[in-house]
Formats: sequence, C-alpha cells, structure tokens
Amino acid sequence: MKKLSYLFFVSAAVIALAAFRPVAGKLVSRNAHISFFSHTSLEDITANNYKVVSTLETSTGDVVFSVPMQSFEFEKALMQEHYNSKDFLNTKAFPKAKFEGKISNISTVNFSQDGTYAVDVNGNMTIKETTKPVIAKGTVTIKEGKVNATTKFNLVLADYEVAFKKGKPSTNIAKEIEITVHADYLPE
Amino acid sequence: MTKKKLLKIGLIVFVVGLIAAVSLVMYMFNKPHQNVQDAAVDFTTSATDLVAEYLSEPEKANEKYLDEEGNSKIMAVTGKVNSITKDMNNQWVVLLKEEDDKAGVSCTFSAATNSSAEKLFVGQTVTIKGVIRSGAAYDEDLELYENVIIEKCDVLK
Repeated sequence: MKKLSYLFFVSAAVIALAAFRPVAGKLVSRNAHISFFSHTSLEDITANNYKVVSTLETSTGDVVFSVPMQSFEFEKALMQEHYNSKDFLNTKAFPKAKFEGKISNISTVNFSQDGTYAVDVNGNMTIKETTKPVIAKGTVTIKEGKVNATTKFNLVLADYEVAFKKGKPSTNIAKEIEITVHADYLPE
Repeated sequence: MTKKKLLKIGLIVFVVGLIAAVSLVMYMFNKPHQNVQDAAVDFTTSATDLVAEYLSEPEKANEKYLDEEGNSKIMAVTGKVNSITKDMNNQWVVLLKEEDDKAGVSCTFSAATNSSAEKLFVGQTVTIKGVIRSGAAYDEDLELYENVIIEKCDVLK
C-alpha cells in the first residue's frame, strides 16, 4: 500500500511539473495571420493569408516565417490573379516567401510570466529572388502559458522587383505596403 | 438609305458596342473567385503519395499542380485525420497525415463548408477536395517539414 501511494505521489508530481512547465525552447506557430494593406487615393487593397508557419527560439530570439504565397486572398478575383502572375509575384516559380531574423532584446521577455513585452526584430526578407533587410517593432504577449507575437512594418515593393510600370496597377497599388503579422506559438 | 438612317444605325451600333465593352470590363473587374467546390477534380491522390511526390521532386510537382495566376489544381486527397484545429479566420483546418509520414496535407475549410469539418474525428479516413496552394518540403530554417496546403475544402461525398 505504501509503495502504491508513493507511486501515486511521484506520478502526480511528474504530471504537475509537466503541466506547469514554463514555455521555453523552440516554439512553433501553425496558426498565424499575415495581411497586407495598400492605400492610394484611388483604392484600398487588402489581402489575407492564414497558412503561415513560424518558429521562435526563446533562448536565442531566432525567428523564422515561411509564407505560402498563393494563400493570399484578395477581395477581387482579378486582383488575385494579377498578384500571382509572372509580372508581379510569380507565385508558381516562387511559391514561398521567407523572413529569417532575430528578436534582438529576447532577454527582456520572461516566457514564464504573463505580460506584454515590446520587442525589436531585425532580419532578412526573401521575396522571389531578392533578399532585403527588414527592421520592425513587435509585441510578444504571454498569457496563461500561450505565446502570441504581433508586428507591423512597411515593405517597398520595388525593393523586391515587384514593379508596376503601366496601367491600373501602377496607379492603384501603393509603392509601399503595410504588413501586419499575428502568430500564436506552441511548444514544438 | 438616307443619311439620317445611316446615322441612326451607326449610333445604335456604337451604343450597343459601348454597353458590351463596359459590361465586359465590369465583369472582368468584378468576376467571382474560382468556385473550388463546383469545379471538377483535376487529381485524385492520397496524402502519403502527394507528400512523397513533393519531397522527391518538388519542382516537377509545382509545375504539375500550381497555376501561374493562382487558380491551381483541384485535388481530391484521401488520408487519415491527424488533427482538427481552427485558424485565426475561424476556419477549420484538418490535417491528413499517416503516422509514419514526414508531412501531411493541411486542408482549410471555409465559412460555407465548416460544418462538414465539424463532423470529422481524429483517426477517420476521409477524402477532402480543395485547391492546392503549396507543396510539402523540409525547411532548413524552420527545421521542420511543411505540409501540403489545400484550401476552400470540403469533404467529398
């Protein structure tokens, strides 16, 4: 009987430890949302993507986003076709975009305590064949063991050789677009 | 034919032409999105085979399945339900993946089809129809296998 109760206490302790284990190490997000917003006096354009995969290494601050480009959805079908086409994002040849970077002040984030932490992100964005540096401010929120990250930054389309020289796209699409990112992370 | 009559015919032709041109432009501009569930299935396969195809020859698979304007192939994929989760757009995401496979097929449902995903359970073998968006691959930066993505899904009867 004594043995049995000992076993019970040990297993209870193990379960309790596992349940209250602080989030640490590599976190993975398979539930994220990236949107982009383009504003001109003629038209506002938004596109949404819910199929982004991201990782966040809590010890080093390394952060990676992989973005399936054909998953961006526009309100208008024609716009979506233009966006995917060879002249613009050429998503058949380049089905994914990637951001690879670091949260430089990751040490200020206490992953075992609920709170909202302001973070600085810097890294490289690869769209089509072009890689350019990106610097952004973001927020990491820890709530009941769940980790959420958000950021907002601007991209200059011409930097990635996405140029609209003539016609409607050149007047209706902003030269600089706003990217918004939300990602929910779980331990791997 | 009098000059007046000729002018009248000319005017009618011009107006009809103009209406046709404006309607065509309006149609092009406002044309509906590809209706995935009404479209015919292009490829019938299993989650295991589709993943294997992408892992062995990704470029060939992209060439076969992806469309330049994003209206990529309509797939009917059979596999075992590994997980059922909800995305940030309140859409159900069903992962079809066999235990021994390195990656699976992630199937996103839509507001119109969410109810059929709710009837599924983990371990069940189903066939899901959807439009392919990207393939499976091992990503060295993520240090993870990425799943095949199909969207606008519904369970095939």
